[in-house]
Amino acid sequence: MIRIKRRALSALLLAALLVGGTCAYAARFALSGGRWASSYVNQAVYSGGKIAVGEITDRNGVVLASPAKNGIAFADDEKLRLACLHVTGDAAGNIGTGALAAFKSRLIGYDIANGVYARGGYGDTVALTVDARLQKAAYDALAGRRGCIIVSNYETGDIACAVSVPTFDPVSPPERAELDARYEGVYINRAISSAYVPGSVFKLVTSAAAIENIGDIYSRVFECGGSVDIGGDTVTCTQPHGSLTFEDALAVSCNVTFARLSLELGADTLARYADKFGFTGTVSIDGIKTAKGGFRKGEEGSPELAWSGVGQYDDTVCPAAMLRLVSAVAAGGSAPQFRLVSRSALSRLFPPAAERLLEADTARQLALMMNYNVSRTYGASNFPGLELYAKSGTAEVGGGRQPHAWFTGYITNDGCPLAFTAVVENGGSGASVAGAAVNAVLQEALRVY
Amino acid sequence: MGGIGLGSADGILSYITLVLRYVLPIPALLVVARCAVSLLCGKHGDATWGYLSLPNGARVPLRHWENIIGRARDADCHMSYPSLSRSHAAVIRDSAGAWRVYDLGSKGGVRVNGESVAPGPGHDIKSGGLIDLGSVQLVFVSSDDELPPLAGDAPPPRNWAGKIKPGATAALLTEFQLMLGIQACIAKADALTAAVPFAFASLIAIMWFCYAMTRAMGRQGFEIETLAFFLCSVGLSAAASSAPEALLRQTGFLAFGVFLFFAVGWFLRDLNRAVRLRWPIGALGAVMLAINLALGTTAFGAKNWLQIGGVSFQPSEFVKIAFVFAGAATLDRLFAKRNLLLFIAYAGACVTALAAMRDFGSALVFFSAFLIIAFIRSGDAATVFLSVGAAAFAGVLAASARSHIAARFGSWGHAWENTDAAGGFQQTRAMAAAASGGLFGVGSGNGWLWRVFAADTDLVFAMTCEELGLVIAIASVLAITAISAFAVRAAASARSSFYVIGACAAASILLFQSALNVLGSNDLLPFTGVTLPFISRGGSSLISCWGLLAFIKASDTRPGASFAAVRGGWQNGEPKSFGGGTSDDTY
Repeated sequence: MIRIKRRALSALLLAALLVGGTCAYAARFALSGGRWASSYVNQAVYSGGKIAVGEITDRNGVVLASPAKNGIAFADDEKLRLACLHVTGDAAGNIGTGALAAFKSRLIGYDIANGVYARGGYGDTVALTVDARLQKAAYDALAGRRGCIIVSNYETGDIACAVSVPTFDPVSPPERAELDARYEGVYINRAISSAYVPGSVFKLVTSAAAIENIGDIYSRVFECGGSVDIGGDTVTCTQPHGSLTFEDALAVSCNVTFARLSLELGADTLARYADKFGFTGTVSIDGIKTAKGGFRKGEEGSPELAWSGVGQYDDTVCPAAMLRLVSAVAAGGSAPQFRLVSRSALSRLFPPAAERLLEADTARQLALMMNYNVSRTYGASNFPGLELYAKSGTAEVGGGRQPHAWFTGYITNDGCPLAFTAVVENGGSGASVAGAAVNAVLQEALRVY
Repeated sequence: MGGIGLGSADGILSYITLVLRYVLPIPALLVVARCAVSLLCGKHGDATWGYLSLPNGARVPLRHWENIIGRARDADCHMSYPSLSRSHAAVIRDSAGAWRVYDLGSKGGVRVNGESVAPGPGHDIKSGGLIDLGSVQLVFVSSDDELPPLAGDAPPPRNWAGKIKPGATAALLTEFQLMLGIQACIAKADALTAAVPFAFASLIAIMWFCYAMTRAMGRQGFEIETLAFFLCSVGLSAAASSAPEALLRQTGFLAFGVFLFFAVGWFLRDLNRAVRLRWPIGALGAVMLAINLALGTTAFGAKNWLQIGGVSFQPSEFVKIAFVFAGAATLDRLFAKRNLLLFIAYAGACVTALAAMRDFGSALVFFSAFLIIAFIRSGDAATVFLSVGAAAFAGVLAASARSHIAARFGSWGHAWENTDAAGGFQQTRAMAAAASGGLFGVGSGNGWLWRVFAADTDLVFAMTCEELGLVIAIASVLAITAISAFAVRAAASARSSFYVIGACAAASILLFQSALNVLGSNDLLPFTGVTLPFISRGGSSLISCWGLLAFIKASDTRPGASFAAVRGGWQNGEPKSFGGGTSDDTY
């Protein structure tokens, strides 16, 4: 019988299968439950394949999307619908980074303890951090030109505005948009899901590297004769800048000086800073992943290396990543984690998570220089009432097309701790085109934010 | 979005549901934990059925009805005389108290009172008889003769369950059942039929009747039944959601299942009778399958239904009981190869028949039970038979329903890529609904999965997750595991290998079927559409589970615990004491 007793233990193998399998199931339940519950097959919160509960509002409770009898109802204001398409998402779910798709599990009110159960009725309100009025202002400022404007609060990390053009009215989505040139990339939120050639805004990266790696950077005097020959190629400026300090070189965006600095710093150092600032990686905005940019190391002494330090060559940057860098400059070196969903009252008691991108001293120096840019080059009078710190970029894209216009920076006006990045595709001059668009949004922000 | 206020009746009811959701897991976990601790940690209290007196005067207790004498370390009476065979002889008691000695093919031969024991039938022996193993002579003393207890033996455990009283556990379960019933009634408030409260009241009544019966027979063990009733309660909640019109029938099935449990349990009390009738019962099962194959009706892809006089049922469910009978055997038969070969042939026929009916899930369940039975019977001695049998069955399985199997395996693990195709429709809905319930569920009757085909049978685990929450669903799995683990643990103090094989085979069926159901519906195993024991709605399956449970009940040898085990033996050396027998009314 002792023998039989031992053999009987074999039945425990089946018990192990059952218990082990159930544990595996429980683990998957914990990890993927939100996704399962958010699936359109879940009849508790979907009806006819469309989400049937929950509501999306802006930071002030303006309803952007809500469930309706036959699908999803969007805001009454057409301009608001156009401006908010990419943050709200569309009914068909084509815009993957829209709240309707990305925050499904919050919309259905999912949590692991209660599933989607709620006593009074299922679903939850998802209050976004964006401001409907800034959305409309940014949409107006882009005036139908392709590009994007993204604004964040650098104290809290809240995204205050994110508008991408081209857009469409979610009430009457275009048919076969993918075949229509007017809607090229319309399902992409350009502010977080695309990466552009940065042009001169990348000089902020080269500057940060120079401040931290070249000891006598502030006492140097640079000479710009309008062009410099590097390895058989010519790096040119729009005009000869003459003798320049480091601050002046950034303010006039002197390519010659920054090409020389790039060669001096070397490809490894530049690449390290591009990585450190998150340009080549992705950051998560409440689970939405930003697009990765790129930085290719040029050979030492080569024109490619020189161009890469002035934001050309193969450099690409996601507008949200650039926004994160200037937020860090504004906030003394640490970028608060971006958010698209308003934090609860309770979690607002705790400071937002932040990641240090820059030494405090580097941030302070960059801030001074960005402020100097405004007074020396962009003209404070073009930005009335704004305590502005900025850098423009006019990124050559080749092919005979107009350059992309970039403008990035922040303001320190009371109660308006906002950082911004704007890109107008093939818009021309960064400071005048993108700068003007940013100004329009920030003027609205001074009134309403 | 509902605008339900506290003021309305609906509002108050919704608050009751809200609270009950959180409260329900407490009695559920307590019931399962109390039963599991009592079953798996309680003292078994070794009974002693006789002694063998050695030449040196030492006495070796016989703790089982079936004992092997030999040189092997794992022989029950182990003596290291070189002239002994590893398994030399067996001393076996039948349920009538008659002892026989068998020669297990020893080299030296066995003589009883000077008469040579022929291989095969064995030789009867009375208390005081002399067993001559060639070089060793032993005197056999049966427990029918009173002897003073061995020195150093512990006093008999008066209460093997410790402080855990089965009656109190059952009362806890009734609390659970009442709350579940209230929740189910609230969910149906708009169109409440008498069937819902009646079904829950009947469930409680049947359970306490069962408890009263147990006590009337002078037994205290009720943990196995309590766990089964817990599972039935969870199942009833699902049935109340999905098919309230069928609740009365379901209650009837439960009553019949409990009746079968007592009937099979009573039948198993008498080992001699059970051994005598095991092949007729096995043959009956085979005939049922044959009739099913010839006259069965096809439902949902498998031809496993039989209609006789307006009643339709699944013969394969009842054949499980016959299969366990056919597979179980007393120790003396285990040494006869012919016996095992016969069983392999029988099991092969059953699995082939099921595969021919395209009842792939049941075929797998039978096959897993076969593997466990074959291993317990043969150990490693007949590994050859085992592997040959296994290979043959796998071949039969694969050949019989190739496209069917291919389809099942093809979509396995890819449910979310087939949300609206056959390979993922049910599974994705099961997972979405289960996640909707979270840990505490949306409340009995408040889910939506019941609208999906086979929600209360094949997908019932997900339905339990959805309505009662993951905690109670996992408690159900643990309940099945505890019952099965007890069957394995009871083998240590089992009287006969017949009971061990019976209990372990029944446990294997319950376990493997649960694994296929739970993991299959969630895409962790291929989805084969078998029922979850005691929980899935349906007559044949529920009744057969109660029948199988009787085998586990029969292996419960804790003193005074099981009505399906006769009393006897010296409890821890104290002659004729029946352990808890004198403390019947302490509970």
